[in-house]
Amino acid sequence: MSSAYFASILNSTLRSTTPILLAALGSAICARVGVFNIALEAQMLIGSFFSIVVNYFTGNVFLSVMAGMLSGAFIGLVVAVLQVKYKAADMVIGTSLNLLVNGATSFLLYIIFGLRGKLVDSRLVSLDKINLPVIKDIPFLGRVLENLTIIDYLAYAIAILLFIYLFKTVSGFRTLSVGISKEASESLGTKGTRVQMRMVILSGALCGLGGTVLSMGQVTMFTENMTSGRGFIAMAAASLGQNHPILTIVSSLFFGLCQGIGLALQNVIKSQLTMTLPYIATIIALVIFSRRNMKKANAMK
Amino acid sequence: MKKNKISENMVLASLIRGLKAVRQPALATLFGLVVGALVIVACGENPFAVYKEMFTKSFIQPFYLYSTLTRATPIIICAMATAMAWRAGYINIGVEGQMIAGSFAATVAAIYIPGPPILVAILAWLIGMCVGALYALLPAILNWKYQVTMVITTLMLNYVANYITSYFVTYPLKDPAGDGMALQTVAIDKAMCLPRLAPKSTFNAGFIVAVAVVLFMIFITKRTVFGYESKMGGFNPSFARYGGAKQVKVMLITMALSGAIASLGGMTEVFGLKYRFSDGMLTSPSYAWTGLMAALIADLNPLGMFFISIFLSGLQIGGSAIQRSMGVPLEISTIIQCCITLFVSVKLVFRFKKRKKDTEGENQIKVEGKEGSEA
Repeated sequence: MSSAYFASILNSTLRSTTPILLAALGSAICARVGVFNIALEAQMLIGSFFSIVVNYFTGNVFLSVMAGMLSGAFIGLVVAVLQVKYKAADMVIGTSLNLLVNGATSFLLYIIFGLRGKLVDSRLVSLDKINLPVIKDIPFLGRVLENLTIIDYLAYAIAILLFIYLFKTVSGFRTLSVGISKEASESLGTKGTRVQMRMVILSGALCGLGGTVLSMGQVTMFTENMTSGRGFIAMAAASLGQNHPILTIVSSLFFGLCQGIGLALQNVIKSQLTMTLPYIATIIALVIFSRRNMKKANAMK
Repeated sequence: MKKNKISENMVLASLIRGLKAVRQPALATLFGLVVGALVIVACGENPFAVYKEMFTKSFIQPFYLYSTLTRATPIIICAMATAMAWRAGYINIGVEGQMIAGSFAATVAAIYIPGPPILVAILAWLIGMCVGALYALLPAILNWKYQVTMVITTLMLNYVANYITSYFVTYPLKDPAGDGMALQTVAIDKAMCLPRLAPKSTFNAGFIVAVAVVLFMIFITKRTVFGYESKMGGFNPSFARYGGAKQVKVMLITMALSGAIASLGGMTEVFGLKYRFSDGMLTSPSYAWTGLMAALIADLNPLGMFFISIFLSGLQIGGSAIQRSMGVPLEISTIIQCCITLFVSVKLVFRFKKRKKDTEGENQIKVEGKEGSEA
């Protein structure tokens, strides 16, 4: 394998990682405060859609990104109210929101644009591609980091910020304490429900940002159900990363790599088969990880 | 005499219970239709005229009614498959994958196994059900052995089944005689197809299969020990765990049944309607997800799911009819459907909340009782 080919695989790995990483961070913070949020898929998809809608009408990248995040946060708010405040069954709410957003985006796509299936338009503006000044001339690394968007870098910064917030600040410790024991933490004056709701809304914004990268990053378009299970892959990534922001970077990179390899192998193996790779890898990774965990648990005994 | 009175009371009680069960979905449906009417007004059409057209061309005119029932067939079966797992607390969102895997296997068996058509057809259906069951068992076993959550694995397996069958119908098993763009297998033997039940329509014996599945579901849930054990697992896992290893057995059987039922949904479509397996034939009409919606709306009640499935299918058939004749987009049915689901899930919220309170109360009583016995 030539190094240029290898570099291009790493490049597409990094690009595929971003949406998964952002959603996985969203999943991780929900899990950290004891909320099982399976509406990640809905939060991402609505972000993809509304960023493209605002993009189409304003042509402003910043506004589009904001629209993506806000719409994701809105779904997060719905989850927070129903699931945290009213203690509804997480599965029912999550599943019906995923279905609802999938249907609503297809519906709005037709109502607003009169289109079915997908929206591609020359007026759409994509996220700026960044080529770092010195690094772009370094042979291998330059190729690996070629044409990434600002959000591709931002995702890692967000992960690190979350790590600092959760594990190095008092407020972060309070947040974590809600997940460990809501009652105990409330007895010390933390507003448990409010903390949980805040985190779920934040997860919506992160997923919305992930969805925005999906529709405005590598390609600039919206297709029906374009998240295609990434929300669930992100859940797997977060649980493999033990809901720890830094470990989640590692697990998300693994799933990004699977997608990157899948894309690269398309020339060798039929694409229908390589497309299964991320999904199969998710299942295998969950199995291997839980096995190791169980061994650890047995050793502790 | 006394006995009679008791049974009368029981009938009355079950009637009231039935009405209460219907109230929520009915209110939700009304809400969905009202939101739909608002959207129709926003499109600049008269909602009454549109709804009249929509329901005439889905339930009233026989031709459309038959189309509605045909489309409802796989939806009903998928709803039952979903409910089988959900009522036991296993969140199987992989019904789509199980139906694809099972019906694809059945199609291949029907095409390539030699022999008298009737025997091959029976064999093909059995193979299909086994493959569907195995495809659902995989996440169940992973859950049992490695505690991998089924929500993720069942969904992942949907994509795997879809892409792999897509590969087969695009390359090795593609019908060479067909149009180059049509990604499909060759047709199955005419003698294996399910008979049509009405002239000049696609309504076929698959619907009888769906009704049989509903009856089977009612029988299992109401009349068997297994149905009770399976429900207890979902209702109160720690109670069911007293049974020990039995719970694993119940889980595996529940998931296998769910997968086998799901595969039936795909097979009625192949053997009753399309007579071959083509790429995306089960995913693009989103049968499995509509079935899931029906299951949620009817709160997993078999009879309720049966009617809701037919209703949702009618919305879809009526939706495409008004799109042809009135210029209101087909997606209106999607929006009505989603509003019903959302409204029902909001309603469920309050019920679950109440139930939670109830069980908390029970726990307290238990604790008190325990203390009393110790003293």
